Amino acid sequence: MYIIGENIHIISEKVKEALAARDREFFMDLAVKQVEAGAKAIDINLGPRKKDWAEVFPWIVETVETVVDVPLSIDTTNVDGMEAALKTIKKAKPILNSTSAEPERLEKVPLLAKKYNAKIIALTMGTSGIPVEADARVNIAVETLIPRLMEIGFNMDDLIIDPLVLTTSGCQQYCPHLIETVRMLQYAWDPAPNISVGLSNVSNAVPNENRPLINRTYLSMLMGVGLKMMIANPFDEKQNDVIRWIETKDTSNPLARVYNKIADRTAASEEPQMEDFDLKDPEQSAIWKTTQILLNKVIYADAYLAN
Amino acid sequence: MPIDIPKDKWPGSIKKITLGATAAEGGTRAKSITLGGQTTLPYLHFEAPTPNSPAIAIEIKSRKPEDWSPLLAEVWGEAMNDPAKWAKKAEEAGADLIVLALMLADSPDDAVKAVKSVLSASGLPLIVWGPGQAEKDNELLVPVAEAAKGEKLVLGICEDKNYRTIVATAMANGHLIEARTPMDVNLAKQLNILITDMGLPADRILMDPTTGALGYGIEYGYSVMERLRLAALQGDSMTQLPMIVTPGFEAWKAKESKVGEGVPESWGDWKARAVHWETLTAVALVESGADVIVLRHPESVKRVKSAIEELVMA
Repeated sequence: MYIIGENIHIISEKVKEALAARDREFFMDLAVKQVEAGAKAIDINLGPRKKDWAEVFPWIVETVETVVDVPLSIDTTNVDGMEAALKTIKKAKPILNSTSAEPERLEKVPLLAKKYNAKIIALTMGTSGIPVEADARVNIAVETLIPRLMEIGFNMDDLIIDPLVLTTSGCQQYCPHLIETVRMLQYAWDPAPNISVGLSNVSNAVPNENRPLINRTYLSMLMGVGLKMMIANPFDEKQNDVIRWIETKDTSNPLARVYNKIADRTAASEEPQMEDFDLKDPEQSAIWKTTQILLNKVIYADAYLAN
Repeated sequence: MPIDIPKDKWPGSIKKITLGATAAEGGTRAKSITLGGQTTLPYLHFEAPTPNSPAIAIEIKSRKPEDWSPLLAEVWGEAMNDPAKWAKKAEEAGADLIVLALMLADSPDDAVKAVKSVLSASGLPLIVWGPGQAEKDNELLVPVAEAAKGEKLVLGICEDKNYRTIVATAMANGHLIEARTPMDVNLAKQLNILITDMGLPADRILMDPTTGALGYGIEYGYSVMERLRLAALQGDSMTQLPMIVTPGFEAWKAKESKVGEGVPESWGDWKARAVHWETLTAVALVESGADVIVLRHPESVKRVKSAIEELVMA
């Protein structure tokens, strides 16, 4: 699993404070720790920085590249900010995060990626928002995103499609469709495009104590349909266990067996079955309930595990 | 060519709940009402009959409301000054049950008095709403619940920010509760979990998913109800509760019902329009699976009742 570390994100209060103080040590530390925890690239999301982009983007790139050699994922909607970051990058081939299928963004961002030899993450979202159905999302990739990149002579190996994970708390009906989108995208083009998702979006607006379980259960399903790249929290050790168990087909303990079973079932276009789980084990019972939430079989509620 | 109609067989069903207690059941109601029990989507009689018809409640207030439409004041007349008379008139107008809404001006003694007078004037099962402010609701509903112990009232309205006191007093005094959430399936289920966690059995909860009037978001309310009902039939136990909706309250807020002047002439006769608005809002919600329909105008009651009869018979 290629993890793009998500932790330099402006939504975090600590990141906000550190940025306000231009605290280089904080960002260097957070970058190094993510790489040590297994991140293969570092996402940098400091928002659009409409006023100070010309100073902030070069500053953060220079700061982070002082201590790590991995690719940086420049995660912003500010195209000028993207370019300022790209000009500063000296180490690995960066990732532009992101363009959508909206005409204005699709016009500018791919050209920028080409000019600076960067990879690009393209979202399956058009002007009318994110479609629920898998077919519609695949269509955006095949009919809009890929043709535009071919039109400008972009190296297709550098295209990463993000079919957009939405939260089970309020957008539950999207969760099973996203799994199918990841499955279908791999057959939608030859060679199969790279696919990445923002995993923890699946638990946005979920109470913190429930988020990791939802994230890693969903991850086991997505790995079942072939997900190999994601923006995620590399510090989540239980999530890293799930990745390792599924990648190495390790079934040496009950939880490893359960997560592998979920991945296998999903791979075979089957749904996890109750008998796959030892429901007397509270942890397995919680995973079973979580699969039912993620497949939109049972309505999500913050207290769904108690039900 | 004979056509084989495909039939769904659902694993789940809606819980049966009973409102109101007769003398034999420890209360004083002339009859009790049973709701729920559905095993399929509303009125698909080729799959299963409708086990219990939706019930119509008429909303009355503990004092004459100043903000109600003059059309309602005209039809209820003097009875609006006395909840007992109003309840009696509502029963005559065809209500299956009464909603008595207490008001902010009520003291706990006033509230108890109003509830007792309604209970003696009408034998119908009774739903009692607090005035809608957390502290005041608790202050009024606790003495009401105690004074009417055993009547199997429905106490409302429980919301996520204020349900504990009302649930506790319902448990202690043998009543039911109405659990309201703002048009959101996740929140509806969450509140049901929180309430049953306190120890109130699920068959003493009426779920109020909130709705909007015709032209004011009814489609959102409809979808939420539809989704809750589908989840219930699929076996999600915390959504398997009968639903109560308040089309009367919603429809009479709408400009189309509320206002007789300053609207385009093409809108036609005010009274006819207002009653249409309430009736159409209500009938749409009946079709989406509502079990209790709270109305305000006696003419709407008549029309919705006949629509329900046709649906249940069909």
